[in-house]
Amino acid sequence: MFESRPTNATESAADVKHWPFRSVLIANRGEIALRVLRTVRRLGLEGIVVYHAADRGAPAVRQADKAVEIAGSTPVAAYLDTAQILDAARNTGAGAIHPGYGFLSENAGFARAVEAAGAIFVGPKPEQIELMGDKVRARAFVAKAGFPVAPSAIEDDDPNTFVERARAVGFPLLIKPAAGGGGKGMRIVREPSALGTEIERARSEGRRYFGDGRLYVERYIENPRHIEVQVLGDAHGNVVHLYERECSVQRRLQKIVEETPSPALDEKTRQSICETAAGIARKAGYRNAGTVEFIFGRGEYYFLEMNTRLQVEHPVTEETTGKDLVFEQLRVAAGEKLGYAQADIRPRGHSIEFRVYAEDPAHGYTPTTGPVLALHPPSGEGVRVDSGIVQGQDVTAAFDPMLAKLIVSGRDRAEAVARADRALANYVLLGCKTNTAFLRRLLRHPAFVAGEIHTGFLDAHPEIAAEPEAAPALLQKLLAAAALVTRPVKDAADAVPAMHAAMGHWRN
Amino acid sequence: MKRIESKLNTRSPEFHANAAHNRRLAEELKEKQRGARHDRPERDIERLRKQSKLLVRERLERLLDPGTPFLELSTLAANMAYDGEVPGAAVVAGIGIVSGREVLINAGDASVKGGAWYPLSVKKTVRALDIAIENRLPVVHLCDSAGGFLPLQANLFADRYYAGRIFRNQSILSKMGVQQVAVVCGHCTAGGAYVPGLSDYNVIVRGTGAIFLAGPPLVKAATGEEVTVDELGGCDMHTRLSGTADYPASSEEEAIAIARDIVAQFKRPEKTKIEWQEPEEPFYDPAELYGVIPRDIKVQFDMREVIARIVDGSRFHEYQPAYGTSLVCGYAHIWGYKVGILANNGVLFNDSALKGTHFIELCNQNKTPILFLQNITGFMVGKDYEQRGITKDGAKMIMAVSGSEVPKFTVIVNGSFGAGNYGMSGRAFDPRFLFMWPQSQISVMGAEQAANTLADVKLRQMARHGKQATAEDIAAIREPILEDYRRQSSAYYSTSEIWDDGILDPTDTRNALGMAISAALNTPIGEPRYGVFRM
Amino acid sequence: MHHAFKLGEVEHELWLSHSRGDYQLHLGDSLIPVALRRDDHGRCFITTGETTTPVTFAVRGDEVHLHIDGAAYTLRYRHPMDRLAAQAHHGADDAIRAPMPGSTVAVRVKPGQSVARGEALLVMESMKMETTITAPRDGVVESVHVVQGQTFERDTTLVSLVAEGAT
Repeated sequence: MFESRPTNATESAADVKHWPFRSVLIANRGEIALRVLRTVRRLGLEGIVVYHAADRGAPAVRQADKAVEIAGSTPVAAYLDTAQILDAARNTGAGAIHPGYGFLSENAGFARAVEAAGAIFVGPKPEQIELMGDKVRARAFVAKAGFPVAPSAIEDDDPNTFVERARAVGFPLLIKPAAGGGGKGMRIVREPSALGTEIERARSEGRRYFGDGRLYVERYIENPRHIEVQVLGDAHGNVVHLYERECSVQRRLQKIVEETPSPALDEKTRQSICETAAGIARKAGYRNAGTVEFIFGRGEYYFLEMNTRLQVEHPVTEETTGKDLVFEQLRVAAGEKLGYAQADIRPRGHSIEFRVYAEDPAHGYTPTTGPVLALHPPSGEGVRVDSGIVQGQDVTAAFDPMLAKLIVSGRDRAEAVARADRALANYVLLGCKTNTAFLRRLLRHPAFVAGEIHTGFLDAHPEIAAEPEAAPALLQKLLAAAALVTRPVKDAADAVPAMHAAMGHWRN
Repeated sequence: MKRIESKLNTRSPEFHANAAHNRRLAEELKEKQRGARHDRPERDIERLRKQSKLLVRERLERLLDPGTPFLELSTLAANMAYDGEVPGAAVVAGIGIVSGREVLINAGDASVKGGAWYPLSVKKTVRALDIAIENRLPVVHLCDSAGGFLPLQANLFADRYYAGRIFRNQSILSKMGVQQVAVVCGHCTAGGAYVPGLSDYNVIVRGTGAIFLAGPPLVKAATGEEVTVDELGGCDMHTRLSGTADYPASSEEEAIAIARDIVAQFKRPEKTKIEWQEPEEPFYDPAELYGVIPRDIKVQFDMREVIARIVDGSRFHEYQPAYGTSLVCGYAHIWGYKVGILANNGVLFNDSALKGTHFIELCNQNKTPILFLQNITGFMVGKDYEQRGITKDGAKMIMAVSGSEVPKFTVIVNGSFGAGNYGMSGRAFDPRFLFMWPQSQISVMGAEQAANTLADVKLRQMARHGKQATAEDIAAIREPILEDYRRQSSAYYSTSEIWDDGILDPTDTRNALGMAISAALNTPIGEPRYGVFRM
Repeated sequence: MHHAFKLGEVEHELWLSHSRGDYQLHLGDSLIPVALRRDDHGRCFITTGETTTPVTFAVRGDEVHLHIDGAAYTLRYRHPMDRLAAQAHHGADDAIRAPMPGSTVAVRVKPGQSVARGEALLVMESMKMETTITAPRDGVVESVHVVQGQTFERDTTLVSLVAEGAT
């Protein structure tokens, strides 16, 4: 488990005593709320959470020092409601607000409002959020600083020549909404003839998802790998990187499995890509933990975007570097200096994160719902589970289908994979279908074992998602157990008088 | 209770010869039963399939709880009647487990003459319902019958134990609070209509099931009214309009599932408490019974060897081991149930009759069911025995058997001749169940004696007319008599006429008795009360 | 076999019997000794024949959720009466009749429309009470025999259903 790792040298109660805040409000839910709360409480700070009624029974709500209910037309709307959250912060005297990921974590307006309310926003400066939040501006910023970006065309540069310039980027190419993120509204175009229609479709999707129809296109790398670098900057201009994570296993352009180190990189490329990420953050004067994402293929990498928040997959970095990233975020927000240099960060071992989703991979990864009837997360050496669910809770369609994260570490990749297989096999969650069996099929796949993965890997191997037919021996076990625990079945067996039961199927 | 020590030499040539002989008889029995159950003209099966009907055996398997026993009764009824064309008398009857409850099943077999009722069909059904009454067994009727077989109506309609008795028995069952459910799989016409009509619950299959007093052709003939089967007595008419039927079903499978669920609602009977202990397999292999029974019915054998292969642990407490030794009496357990056993080890003498009488009274006193194992040529005859009162001693035994209140079970292991049949609880003495073994014989006296007696009468007539009978004359008199006797005294004739509840493979006896005893305990055991014993 | 469990789209018929203290699973033609045991630590084990496997289970209504051999499965129990009734393609339920005399307040379905059991077909009024007539089973509306405002007698056929896929 995470806590079992040696604590950071710089971490001590004495330092926390001098911080400008004594309490932290967590403006999030689920596993990340619990994850942040864990560090906050460990530091002796007061942990406050806001929650929608749908999350009333969530562990973060139960474990927090204070919990404030917020309302909304939908549960998601509540967690996006700046005014209510700030009210909660004021009423509870919260000194800082940690936004987690998603929701308001990359909302510059929220960051400003927090500061205006006299609290500390655990994140970057609002301008940095704005810069990196606009994909077009971010890309121009990175290109201008001399870092590699994919050949591209930005509609805003000259809307009249956009199509021509797009064509000049070369095929295949990727159309992206300028305001987009999370893979929504992206389209791959392989045929020059389809460019016009695909641009129109992407525009309408962009409008639908983000209320913004502006687009840009970039060169699409076939079978690309998604590699990102964790960076950390303080308010004093110090920036370090905490090495890379590979997140190439994706479904519907969303990450499922993330690991560090990346099996794709040689040492030279690793240093180069990590230095590039740190360079970009440094150039932006970045404060807070952040992630610079790259697309990688055929030995080359291009800047994709920068996320100015804690990432879902941050635990793998924590496991290999020994840094508690939430603690680092809080320190930086408190104004402390990093206090260590790049050379002090020496990752060891291998760590892989598996996202446990409430979904049915065999049916197009459609979300599933249901009550959590039994929950026994795995444990053991090298196994960490970041989870926000509890037994008895309902998994509903109101939120993202991610239920938990299983982080498995080992001395090397093979050991981590072997432990992951065991941990996934022992991950018991009943009542709502999850993807754990699919994740096991995935990690046993020869290509995954060999580290030969790319973002289109699952599309190329639909057999991984397909549910195999139950083997006769397994079917026997399933039916036997089901029969023995189903009242009408067992009652019918028990209803037979003992003598007749002992005679069995006797005929005269 | 000590174990019987078998004196059987299972390696002797005699044992092997007996075993081979009796095994062959058992195989013959199984083959005859298989034929009676399954051999049907192809066209009859096709006709049923076309009506999307299940065969009666298929219905039965769907009705019964899987993995439970079914004690079929009188499987070979009518096997020597009607030129063998009405196997099982077109009825399947037996005791089985439905939804965990012991029930009696009475099922018409539409693959035999459309399920028409022959005289023996009626007799088998009445007997089945008598069993239900005596043992308070709930009944499941699976109805599919074309109605009474008109050419033989004189032998099935009017008399006391003819068809009307079926409906009388159903009414009595209802009066006693013993529940019945009928599944109308096919037509229930005329009298047959009362089978579902008199049941507490009934289920009818849409499309194939129908209930009416007269079918469309008869209605047209009687009143000129033209009407379809469905309008006249179909599923929807009866379940929605007339209320004659309770549950509509869209298929036989569904109907049977509903019937199972209805049976699941039945209150379980409170079993009469008798001595019981954890069951134990016999110590001696029941398959050795084949080697116990001699090939020749005239050869005597020790009935203890039979008891040892039927009862729990082969343990037997013998009563009066030194007195009246031609009748073995004692206690044992079968499937855990304590029973008193009377078994013949030779002809009944005065002492054996008195011993038997006393033992029957003991069993009644301590509420122990009685098992009679018959191998009896009769009571001893002759001046000496008559002077010692063999008739009045036999009368005592018959009095005790008749007045007995505990359930009685009779197995005719070998011979059942003369008044011995009565003293040993023959059919007339209402044993709850009576079974026969394949080689057993039943008649007023042995075939040889009968032929000799009849030949003797004839010869004396001839002598009066001054004729001297030649060897050929004697043979000509004896042979037809012997032939008739052999035929009519065989177990197959008995079972054809339903003088018994079926022929058992000897190795099935233990289970059959277990089920029979269990069923019998649905009925409370009354206090014994006898008439006057002639002293 | 009288019981059935649905795993995915496949229905498996089975029966459980009890013999001398042990259970046996009847599956097709085979008879498999089975047992479910809990150890001192509360862990459960399912035994089939010679094999014993740890199992975690949860029952919710007719659903049985099982974790066996490293994966979770959901089986749904189907009562024989439901299962066998559902197999019927034609039934009395084909014609939905008026339970009492009345008039049509609203018609909710059109011919050709698929309806699920319990779905509203039409609303009628009788004796100042509104009654919703619902589909007795899944099917397709073959025809609607009344229009809004129409009055009818008891037992009048209001809607005809056919089985899904039937022609």
